Amino acid sequence: MNRTTNKGYKKMKPTDNFTDDQLELLADKVRQGKISRRKFTQLGAALLGTAALASRGMPALADDGQLVFVSWGGDAVDAYDEAYGKPFEAATGVRVRQDGSGPTEGAMQAQFESGAPSWDVMDADAFSAESLGKKGMMEPIDYSVVDKSKMREGYGWEYSASTYFFSYVIAYDAAKFGDNPPTSMADFFDVEKFPGKRSMYKWGVGVWEALLMADGVAQADLYPLDVERAHAKLKDFKEHVISFWGNGAESQTLMLNDEASMALIWSTRARLLEQDTDGDVKSIWQDGVISPGAMAVIKGNPGGAANAMKFIASAQDPEKQMVMFDMLSQGPANPATDDLIPEDQRRFNPVAPGNFEQQVSVDVEWYEENYGAALDEYLAIISS
Amino acid sequence: MIRITRPLILLAPLLAFLAFAYVLPFAGVIGWSVSIPEPGLQNYSSALTDPLILSVFWRTFRICAIVTVISVVMGYILSLLWVRGTPLVRTLTELCILIPFWISVLTRAFGWLALLSHRGLMNGWLEALGVIDDPLRMIRNEFGVIVGMVHFMIPFAVFPLAAAMRNVDERVLLAARGMAASRTRIFWQVFVPMTAAGLMGAALLVFVFAIGFFITPAILGGGRSVMVAELIYLRIFQSPDWGLAAAISVILMVAISALLTLLLKQLSPKGAE
Repeated sequence: MNRTTNKGYKKMKPTDNFTDDQLELLADKVRQGKISRRKFTQLGAALLGTAALASRGMPALADDGQLVFVSWGGDAVDAYDEAYGKPFEAATGVRVRQDGSGPTEGAMQAQFESGAPSWDVMDADAFSAESLGKKGMMEPIDYSVVDKSKMREGYGWEYSASTYFFSYVIAYDAAKFGDNPPTSMADFFDVEKFPGKRSMYKWGVGVWEALLMADGVAQADLYPLDVERAHAKLKDFKEHVISFWGNGAESQTLMLNDEASMALIWSTRARLLEQDTDGDVKSIWQDGVISPGAMAVIKGNPGGAANAMKFIASAQDPEKQMVMFDMLSQGPANPATDDLIPEDQRRFNPVAPGNFEQQVSVDVEWYEENYGAALDEYLAIISS
Repeated sequence: MIRITRPLILLAPLLAFLAFAYVLPFAGVIGWSVSIPEPGLQNYSSALTDPLILSVFWRTFRICAIVTVISVVMGYILSLLWVRGTPLVRTLTELCILIPFWISVLTRAFGWLALLSHRGLMNGWLEALGVIDDPLRMIRNEFGVIVGMVHFMIPFAVFPLAAAMRNVDERVLLAARGMAASRTRIFWQVFVPMTAAGLMGAALLVFVFAIGFFITPAILGGGRSVMVAELIYLRIFQSPDWGLAAAISVILMVAISALLTLLLKQLSPKGAE
């Protein structure tokens, strides 16, 4: 049994003396989950003497080891591995394992509270990372490693750094409205002019902004969001909503099956829809709601903060972000990537000049403060 | 003596496992409910007074009650066919009960999606037959949730009901007939009362099971039918408030325990006589 589990595992480093070898053996057992990390520290300390341990450090469970990158699953797992994981391992020797279990705010909190997190870097919502960071659960981003000049201004926060953008955009049935397509959020909510059902996001983000824009609030005046006003509009409109989609695949299905004639969906999915339907579903950028995707690091992450920061910095590379644009249509965080995108595909980039200006950007601070309470009310309204 | 201790020894590993895997963690959940964010019972008072949370409790209760009634009635009919039908009917019924039972809840929810959606098979047939002009909305609403849940629950209603029906003494029915009771009368006044304990058991089992439903409402409800299990998920993962989530879980647990106590009483030998 042990031999089989050993197989395929990382080769041990050559060791120069017995103690190191013992430590390596212990370390291997920790990796295989046979003994706990705490036990490892105790046993290691017993082998070396605690003082010695502090000076020479434990054999690199972290340094030679690995990082666990947590995304939202699906195609993202392969894309992150291709774009960032494999190149990082090739460059540093640190293996990056992909985990698609979804770093929601509560899941990250659970990781921290467990006392022995197994996650290192997460594709997190910036407002979640900030909120947890202020509670001491996130590692602050080390901007001496992560380069702020490779980011759009205002998209590097204390506990997370933007690595891509996506947008909540209006996708519409072009077979139906092709001659006279919608041009604004007001059109999205106008079922007389644009008959048919609508669909929007179950978890509220982007929908409040949309409701307020349709109600006449200018983009510049959206924040702080007037949730009460948005919800009043939602109550009037919800009968026209066939479904509040909870994941990207669902949002696509609703448009593909003609269940909705218009939907507020992620720009990443809008591009897929346009391709899959040969242009029968199209989208517009006007009044879209841009949202940053960010990387954050759990405090006390097993792979060590230093490597995690290096990994985030490595993800700022334009060539790598280009892979993410190709595979997932992520709008690049590094403006230098914009120019790498072929001319004919630039219209799919939410942050490309020309597209960016038509949209409004999610206010991370507002969400950090108000998201929970607003979401509660929102769900109560859509469910009743 | 031997009779009593032996089962206990055999049960010990299971009890130890349950203590370790359920009781201990649940004690932790109770701990959260009275300590996060600060010590006190405020999580319980807000869970029991917050109109948003109460509306979720009420909706969950309502949907579960509807699902229970439909599942038990349909389960009763199926059980009758299964226990008292001709051999062919029995085999067919058995297949109809067991095959869905073996299929994963996810697969079944997506199956309903394919069958009942806007452009699904059902709407296609109805339109082809000229019964309807516009597609009916059968999913992405409460109707869809109830259909999906009933489908999942029917086997759980059938098993206790079929067991109760098998225990009905044939001679009693013959005696009733011998005293010139009509078939309808035998059914309502002899057969149904004799299976009442099974009915009770089935209803409680379905109801308790339905309270924890998560996937089916999420897929078939069009994002709308937020039930209590989803609310707990939301408060743990989406907008974390673990204290409140824990309090809601404890309230749910107490409610389910109360129902289960009732269930066990019903199923005890006395109740089934």
